[in-house]
Formats: sequence, C-alpha cells, structure tokens
Amino acid sequence: MPRKKEPGLKNCLKALRTASAGMTQQELADRVGVTRQTIVALEGGNYTPSLTLALRIARVFGQSIEQIFQLEEW
Amino acid sequence: MNAMEKVAWAELLVCVTALAAVGLLVPWLGDRAVGGFGLLGFLGFTVLFLRRRGNRVITDERDTEIQRVATSFGISAAWFTLFLVLTILVVWAGYSHTDAVPTRILTWLIWISFAVLYGVKGLAAVVLYRRPHAA
Repeated sequence: MPRKKEPGLKNCLKALRTASAGMTQQELADRVGVTRQTIVALEGGNYTPSLTLALRIARVFGQSIEQIFQLEEW
Repeated sequence: MNAMEKVAWAELLVCVTALAAVGLLVPWLGDRAVGGFGLLGFLGFTVLFLRRRGNRVITDERDTEIQRVATSFGISAAWFTLFLVLTILVVWAGYSHTDAVPTRILTWLIWISFAVLYGVKGLAAVVLYRRPHAA
C-alpha cells in the first residue's frame, strides 16, 4: 500500500542539520540509511518519509518526530 | 542523480535507441530488422550502476516506491499493447477469413511489448524522480 501524499507535511530538517555542526546531507543520509537525494527531497518537502525513517531522523537529532515534522491542517 | 535514476535513464535511452534502430532498419531489412531489438540486451549493463561504493546506500525506500509505480506503468503499457494488437489481429483474421496469423507478426509483437515495458518503466521513473510528491 503506497503512502498517502502529504503536501501539508512540513519539517525543519534543514535547520536542524545545519545547526548540528554543519552536518552535510550526505552525512545525514549515511546515518539514517538513505541516499542523499532522499534527504534533498525531504528538505524540499517533496517526500513523505516512512515512520521508520522519521524515527531514525528523530533519533539522530535527539528530538521527537513531532518536533521535526509538522502537519499543517487544511 | 542517484543509482536508480541512472538505471531509469538507461532503460529509457536503450529502448528508444532500439525502437529507432529497428524503425530505420525496416526499409532495408524488412522483417530481419527485428534483430535491432538485440540492443535491448544493453539493459543488462544497468546493474553496473548498482555497484556498492564504500558504505553508501545505493537504493532506499523512495527508490523502491518509485520503481514499484514505474514498473506497474510499464507492465500496464506492455499488456495494453499486447492485447490491443492481438485483438486487432483476431478481428482482421476474422474479416479477411484468414485461418492463421503469421508467426513473424507475433515475433514483432513480443519484441515491441518488451521495448514498451522497459521504455515506459524508464520514462515513468524519470518523471517520478523529478516530480514533487511522486513517492
């Protein structure tokens, strides 16, 4: 079953990454086990991550999923 | 451009090249031009894009999702082509009171279906990689 597209899903991934001692997209990609292009798509709000990936990202930054991903209600 | 996007471009280019080559060869070789579909064999080299380099991830969940959608597009297009042509052949054979369909037509049909499958799959994947919220 494909994931539902969520254009209203915003995130502060780029801000968190750059605040983490200038972590590069490739470094973040390596730590969470995806390609750099997926991080690019995530930061641009063009990709809805799986729950597993969202949890991995949250773990890297030591924050909860809600602090990183916000769903704008419509 | 990640590895799977390179694979998608390669699939698209190989299929377009094969179809173009066959189309160009038909006036000279006739049915023997079907040999031009041998160019589809270059699809086997796409595996070279998936070589591991260090500990880098080659494919991830986004690639899997895009490939799944692209493959379903490719298979649908190939089946559509196959059944559409088969239906036309059956109708044509019925109206012309022909007892059998030449096997050369079926050979052409199978090869074209293969080219359509990989060509549409490659095209769909290329589009999906560039379209926001594609996966």
